[in-house]
Amino acid sequence: MAAAAAAAPTRAEVLSLFRSLLRTGRQFSDYNIREYTRRRAADAFRENRALGDAPAAAAFADGKKQLEVAKRQAVVYSLYAPKAKSIMEMKLQ
Amino acid sequence: MSLSRRLLPILLRPRGSPTRALSTAAASAAPAAAEEEAVTIKGVRISGRPLYMDMQATTPVDPRVLDAMLPFYLSRYGNPHSRTHLYGWESDAAVEEARARVASLVGADPREIFFTSGATECNNIAVKGMMRFYRDRRRHVVTTQTEHKCVLDSCRYLQQEGFEVTYLPVRSDGLVDVAQLADAIRPDTGLVSVMAVNNEIGVVQPLEEIGRICREKGVPFHTDAAQALGKIPIDVNQMGIGLMSLSAHKIYGPKGVGALYLRRRPRIRVEPQMSGGGQERGIRSGTVPTPLVVGFGAACEIAAKEMDYDHRRASMLQQRLLDGIRGQVDDIVINGSMEHRYPGNLNLSFAYVEGESLLMGLKEVAVSSGSACTSASLEPSYVLRALGVEEDMAHTSIRFGIGRFTTEEEVDRAIELTVHQVKKLRDMSPLYEMAKAGIDLKSIQPMSGIG
Ligand SMILES: Cc1ncc(COP(=O)(O)O)c(C=O)c1O
Repeated sequence: MAAAAAAAPTRAEVLSLFRSLLRTGRQFSDYNIREYTRRRAADAFRENRALGDAPAAAAFADGKKQLEVAKRQAVVYSLYAPKAKSIMEMKLQ
Repeated sequence: MSLSRRLLPILLRPRGSPTRALSTAAASAAPAAAEEEAVTIKGVRISGRPLYMDMQATTPVDPRVLDAMLPFYLSRYGNPHSRTHLYGWESDAAVEEARARVASLVGADPREIFFTSGATECNNIAVKGMMRFYRDRRRHVVTTQTEHKCVLDSCRYLQQEGFEVTYLPVRSDGLVDVAQLADAIRPDTGLVSVMAVNNEIGVVQPLEEIGRICREKGVPFHTDAAQALGKIPIDVNQMGIGLMSLSAHKIYGPKGVGALYLRRRPRIRVEPQMSGGGQERGIRSGTVPTPLVVGFGAACEIAAKEMDYDHRRASMLQQRLLDGIRGQVDDIVINGSMEHRYPGNLNLSFAYVEGESLLMGLKEVAVSSGSACTSASLEPSYVLRALGVEEDMAHTSIRFGIGRFTTEEEVDRAIELTVHQVKKLRDMSPLYEMAKAGIDLKSIQPMSGIG
């Protein structure tokens, strides 16, 4: 929240957040959520590349919140992962 | 429905020793282990949980939604109607925040949103409650033949109480004829109820036009927007909506919660169905389920942000699915208008195959069918029948649902499996052979035998 009013993030900060989101997304036990997290993060960072300072700061703050949600939920999902995987994972190996 | 019923035992029954559970599945990523997880039933091999394409039945809960809900299942368990302590206050604040989020997604005032158990309850309150409230002057309801069962059943109930109901037919593309709708409205019509997006065929009715006609004639317009919320833009003022039914579990929220929109100006009144503590300003007594409502609010907030993105993806995947199937098999019919359609729905019928066999062959894809799946009867879908789809084609209809979490790979797999199955069945079908040889089937025999 406080970060929303802050200055635009540096390129290094943005990249670091992006990588953290991808890394956390990969930890989801659910095939669809894992794929979505990766796809949505990549598309959002692509779309937001050209943002001005203020919206970039807001997008960055939002991204950090999403990362926290993803970290918590990756754990929750792992606690209740079904025994049988999605058929999409079985033949992809 | 029948498909999932058939599938459950398959997933629960591993091959070989019955005592051996599927417990190796979670831990192992090795291909050898993946092989072991496979199960075979009736000659069909299933290797894991089917890919999910039944988004109109229900959607998975978005992890962001669950994240918003969990605190209210842990320490924040207060009754939102408790006025004397922090537990109540924090729950109440969360409920009101959620109400504002639902309202904002449809352009309503939060005071016009009443939480219920889902769209079924909303439809019951809207149709029965509204007519009962105005029963002295208003004796007639206009609706369509393709409404959800809960609207049609509420109308039947009203008929038993002496009200009259006009069930408008739809055109072959699934749309109502608005001129016909206007003509059906009488001086004693108390309600026009037309759904926004059809659950079976995804057709979007011309809400704005219907709303305008209703406003001109001074009749309240109710729309069942369970399948529309968060997927197409809805604005209660622009569309002249007086009452609207919403559900959380179609937009990646939890099951068991929905909301009824009731316009304040001009004020719409309904007779409540639930007597009790007078919660939700007397419209719906019963403790408001804070975690569910918070989840619904979160789902609406996400939907507001993601609607464009989700819509673009659904369109792209729908096109991919259609092109993929149509490129490899002929004699397919799309049920319902393609132009006026929510793209997360693709309902296809396959000529010259047998419906039951088609579904049996698609065990690795969780889809619904227009066949005798939605009830114990053997009647095909009444929605498809209202479109004039012939019985044999209704039996081979498959509803593919595309959602926020559907991947390209899933669509490609669905194409591959569907095409494979349709081709296999047609190779065995004398009807298909004859049709390809140019013999007019209708001229030689009635088609009743293959339903
Ligand atoms: C159009 C429509 N109306 C109503 C319902 C019922 O909603 P709920 O499950 O929230 O009662 C559904 C879903 O099954 C639906 O698709």
